[in-house]
Amino acid sequence: MSEKKNIIHNHTHSDDHAHSQLPSDPELRVKAVETLLLNKGLIDSRTLDELIDTYENRIGPQNGAKVVAKAWVDEEYKKRLLNDATSAIRELSYQGRQGENMVVVENTPKVHNVVVCTLCSCYPWPVLGLPPTWYKSDEYRSRTVREPRKVLSEFGLSLDPKVQIKVWDSTAELRYLVLPMRPDGTENMDETELAELVTRNSMIGTGLPKEIK
Amino acid sequence: MSRLHDMGGRFGDGPIPVPRNNKNEVINFEPTFKHNWQAKAWAITLAAGALGEWNLDISRHYRECLPPKDYINFSYYEKWLAALTNLLIDKKLISLDELKEYVAAAKKGNLDKFSKQNVMLDDRAWLAEDVQKTLGWGGPSIRDTNVSPIFNIGDKIITQSYSPNENVNGGHTRLPEYAMGRVGKISSYNKNHVFPDKNAHGLGESPLPLYTVEFKSSELWGISAEHENDSIFLDLWEPYLNPYKD
Repeated sequence: MSEKKNIIHNHTHSDDHAHSQLPSDPELRVKAVETLLLNKGLIDSRTLDELIDTYENRIGPQNGAKVVAKAWVDEEYKKRLLNDATSAIRELSYQGRQGENMVVVENTPKVHNVVVCTLCSCYPWPVLGLPPTWYKSDEYRSRTVREPRKVLSEFGLSLDPKVQIKVWDSTAELRYLVLPMRPDGTENMDETELAELVTRNSMIGTGLPKEIK
Repeated sequence: MSRLHDMGGRFGDGPIPVPRNNKNEVINFEPTFKHNWQAKAWAITLAAGALGEWNLDISRHYRECLPPKDYINFSYYEKWLAALTNLLIDKKLISLDELKEYVAAAKKGNLDKFSKQNVMLDDRAWLAEDVQKTLGWGGPSIRDTNVSPIFNIGDKIITQSYSPNENVNGGHTRLPEYAMGRVGKISSYNKNHVFPDKNAHGLGESPLPLYTVEFKSSELWGISAEHENDSIFLDLWEPYLNPYKD
C-alpha cells in the first residue's frame, strides 16, 4: 500500500478486560449480559428465539444436500454451480449471512477437496448451518493445513496417494462447499433420494456420501 | 508476531474430536447447540451486532484480542461472550458499573431490581419480524470500485514476510503466519472486498482486490510436507502479496 499511516500503538479497547468481571459459570455469564441488554431494550427476546429456531430447525446441511443432489442430476446446473456458486445456490433460495460469496469445489477421481478455517470458524451457513464442534476445534484448525491426510484418516477416510488433496483455508469472506462425487450404483435414484446420501462431512471434505448397500 | 488464534500448522494438537456412535461410525449430525447458554451467547452476539455499533471484523478482532490464557481456556461460545462483553462496554452500550452491580446482586440472590417488564425497545433493536429478511441479505463484503487488480491468474507471488497490519500494531489481518514469506500462484481473482485490516479498526472499508492463492504443500512445510502433490489455497488481499520472479 502506498499510504503509510502512523502505527496505532494503543489498543482501541479496554485493557482491563471487562469480561473478567463476569461470573465463572457460563450460564450465569450469559444471563448477566442478556439481562442488561434486555432491560435497556437493545435486544428483543423474540428475536433471539427466532434466530435460534432458524439455525436449529430450518437452516442446516439438508440445504447443501439438495444443492449437491441437483448438481448430480442436472449437468447444466452443475456448470452454473461451479461457475457462479452464489447465484446457482440462490436458485434454491439459499442465500445470505455467511454465504454471501459462495465457491463450490468439485471432487474428482484425481482431486479431493477439504475446507478449514485456521483463523476462526468461517463456514457456509446458508447451506450447512452452524459449524460442528470439531470444525471449530484447535486440533482441526491447526493440523488440517499441515497434515490433511492424517486428519482425514481420523474421519475414517483414506485416500489413494495419487489423489491430490486441495485444502481451502477460508481466510476471507468466500465460503466453500465441496461437491462430492456421486456414489456408484445410484443411476436410478431421483434427486430427493440422492439428497439423502449427501452427508454434512462430505460437503466439508472430511467424509464421503453414503454408499448404496 | 501473531496471536493465538493464528494456529494453522501449529504442532502439538492431538486427535480431531470426531464424534462417533457406539458402532464407532462417524456421526454426521449433532444438535446445533449442546447447551441453551451457547445458543443464547450466539444469538445475543448477532442481535447486539445488528445495533450497528461495530462491524463483523471488529467483533472478530475482539475475540482474537482476548488474553492468551483466556483464548486457550475458553470454549468457543465463551470466547464469543467475553468478546461481546468487552465490545458492549467499550461502545458504551452497557457500563462496567452496571455489570458489576448485576454480578453482585446475582451473588446475593436478589435480582429483583433487574426484573423489568414491558421495556420499550430501542429504535436500533433488531425486530423478530425482520430476522429472516436481514439474514437473507447478509453482509456482502464485495464493493464496486474502480481499483484494478495488479496480478493475473497464474502469476507467481511472494507473501509479506512479517505481520502485515500497516495501521495498527498487533492489528487484525488475514495472512496467517504459516503462509508468510512464501511463494504461491494466483488461482483466481474474486473482485474487490472490504479490507479487514482497516475495517476491523474503524479505519474505513478500503475495498481491495482479493485473490485465491495456491501454495504447494512443500513450499509451506518443506521436507516435512505430507505429500508433494497437495496444495493449500488461501484467500488473500493484494497488500499481502508482492510479485515474485524465479
